[in-house]
Amino acid sequence: MLSIENTKCECGHQNSVGTVLCESCGKPLDKELAKSEEPLEMRYDGVARRSQKSNPSIIDRIWNFFSSVKIAIYLIVITFVTAMLGTIYPQENTFINLPDPASYYQENYGILGKIYYLLGLSHTYESWWFIGLLVMIGTSLVICSLDRVLPLYRALKKQQIRKHHQFILRQKAVYRDRIEGDSKEWVASYGEALKKKGYKVHFEEGTGTALLAEKNRFSRWGPYINHIGLILFLLAILARSIPGWQMDTYISVPDGDTVQIAGTNYYLKSEKFTVEFYTDDELPDELKGTARAKKYETKAILYECVSNCSDPLKEPVLEEVKKDDITVNHPLTYKGLKLYQFDFDLTPRLNSVKPVLVDKRTGEVYGPFYLPMKEAETQHKLGPFTLDLIANYMEFALNSEGKPTTLSREPNAPAFVFSVKGPGLAEDGEPYIYFPMQKDKVKFAQDTINRELADKIEIRVEGMENVDFSEATTHLNVRMDKALPYLWIGAVFSMVGLIMGSYWQHRRIWLRVDDGELALGAHTNKNWFGMRSDIASALKKIGVSVDPKTLDNGGKNA
Amino acid sequence: MGKSRRTVQIVILLAVLVIGGYAIWSALFGDDKSGPLEAGSEPPAFTLADLNGGTVSLSDYKGKPVVINFWGSFCEPCVKEMPEFERQYTKWKDKDLVILAINLSEDTLTVNNFVKRFELTYPILRDVNRKTERSYGLRQYPTTFFVKPDGTLMEVVVGGMLEKDIDERVERLLQL
Repeated sequence: MLSIENTKCECGHQNSVGTVLCESCGKPLDKELAKSEEPLEMRYDGVARRSQKSNPSIIDRIWNFFSSVKIAIYLIVITFVTAMLGTIYPQENTFINLPDPASYYQENYGILGKIYYLLGLSHTYESWWFIGLLVMIGTSLVICSLDRVLPLYRALKKQQIRKHHQFILRQKAVYRDRIEGDSKEWVASYGEALKKKGYKVHFEEGTGTALLAEKNRFSRWGPYINHIGLILFLLAILARSIPGWQMDTYISVPDGDTVQIAGTNYYLKSEKFTVEFYTDDELPDELKGTARAKKYETKAILYECVSNCSDPLKEPVLEEVKKDDITVNHPLTYKGLKLYQFDFDLTPRLNSVKPVLVDKRTGEVYGPFYLPMKEAETQHKLGPFTLDLIANYMEFALNSEGKPTTLSREPNAPAFVFSVKGPGLAEDGEPYIYFPMQKDKVKFAQDTINRELADKIEIRVEGMENVDFSEATTHLNVRMDKALPYLWIGAVFSMVGLIMGSYWQHRRIWLRVDDGELALGAHTNKNWFGMRSDIASALKKIGVSVDPKTLDNGGKNA
Repeated sequence: MGKSRRTVQIVILLAVLVIGGYAIWSALFGDDKSGPLEAGSEPPAFTLADLNGGTVSLSDYKGKPVVINFWGSFCEPCVKEMPEFERQYTKWKDKDLVILAINLSEDTLTVNNFVKRFELTYPILRDVNRKTERSYGLRQYPTTFFVKPDGTLMEVVVGGMLEKDIDERVERLLQL
């Protein structure tokens, strides 16, 4: 059978289950506690935690679990320990390119690395159990705070002024005395003295022989404001898993190219990447002759796709949204998107040439015509000649069967095969292979392949102004973190709460005079020295000289 | 007061369940963009141009076994595989087998010449600027993805395959 605990105090107040000190008069409710002489435990002013109930349901049980500070501490300790484990070896997500993490950890860190990987610690912070721990800490924060702040608020909102003698005299700072003369006047003048010290003073209505003085009550809310900040912080961290909230990728943009930033509607064009090195004059002696980068810069334009964005048959329509020069520590920023200079590659890449066709028999020159390495027009009409592009190779080579092939899709050794029609040439065209790069022309013996046709015509580029190439490729780090402002807000709340709770203390003084017998008790959460000196200096003002040390009633934190 | 307290409790626990549940769920089953695609995971969607001026989406073939093959004319094992896929396609197309061969962002002329040379009849799709290739996390060519009718991956094969390797996998795929 359930035994209903008697929670009614002798002052007539009905307290909730779990109340330690009567919510009204402050008398200890527990019989054992009432007999003792020790200073009272004043945590949460002795009120019951909200969740404490005599017959808990399942919801209450879950609630009580998270309401426990002990559980909260376990959770925090477990989280700290696992977070520490996650720092032993590099996390998987710190690598830009890690095709086979399993073998990476084993090769670099041996058997321990393998165990580390198998335990899933190589991605600690993204693992379900770590996020689960964060969720549980968040829950615990909310429930612990709610269960304590509401009763505490209520207890502090309507405080009984005349407290039980047991309550007053079992505080850690106590003063007893015999008052000569009018007690009401004495209490009033002491109240006045406390007011000067910045206390808010409440006198018992009617009698005027009891008093409650308090200051800096707001500091009690510090921990809860701190918790609100932490909850915001946690929510912001969890919000990163919302698609589109966080991004950390890399893009490579050759000079002049426009590249889509994967997963977004943005395109980035690099107009030019430049790297500057220090000259020897600028370098100290020991570094002279070494290449020391002075500046990396990408002249970038950010575009947003406005239509045809996902239609593979149409070219996307781009609209310029931002133009900026990206240098180290100066990213291009646009609506939370940040592009950082990360790396570069100075391998040039041929983009297009504008060659001419020369009729060697007449010396006549036709053209020039535009010949990009990719997606070139398949037909060019040049004077009496017609060039039909029949094949192209990005990196020309001959395969095992001796047939032309390409080794890659980068224009490292481009070759174009035209069928040429024109005066003095075969009706259905004669094949002509053209290598835009001089080195390939020599290597693959262009003139030999083209045989007699090489004596009749030539396709060639006249002057470097007809060659377009990208001198460099810039590598940029693309970042987006929409959670960041919320993290900051959370951090500010947390800090404000910490400061409130750390630099101010809630000080309270209760006092009652019964038949000339003064009983004074005071409570604060820390800095008891200050508390006692407040009492003593106010007493001194009304002519009672007391050594603050004698007010110490023992107990911890004295 | 008792009633409102119960409501607050339920609201908070529900909020925890929803927010926390979402966070844990996405950590457990969310697409791990860093990791490679594996058997059981769902291949990323795509819509690409084919060679006939139309578009093809992976979602068009929901409920059918699909073989997605990434190839390029510059990759010799891919070139060897293409006629094998063609034979598999003619052999199994009555059984609803879909083969989608995605070219690795080469230019039109190169792709057309290649397809003409091997007389390929199955759909050849054109990736642009390596977008699809990247979303599939490709690191080597060729790579072939066998997609079950339920839309999840049966197997990912990196590297060239012999015809019997393809045949064996297609048979398994068709039995599902």
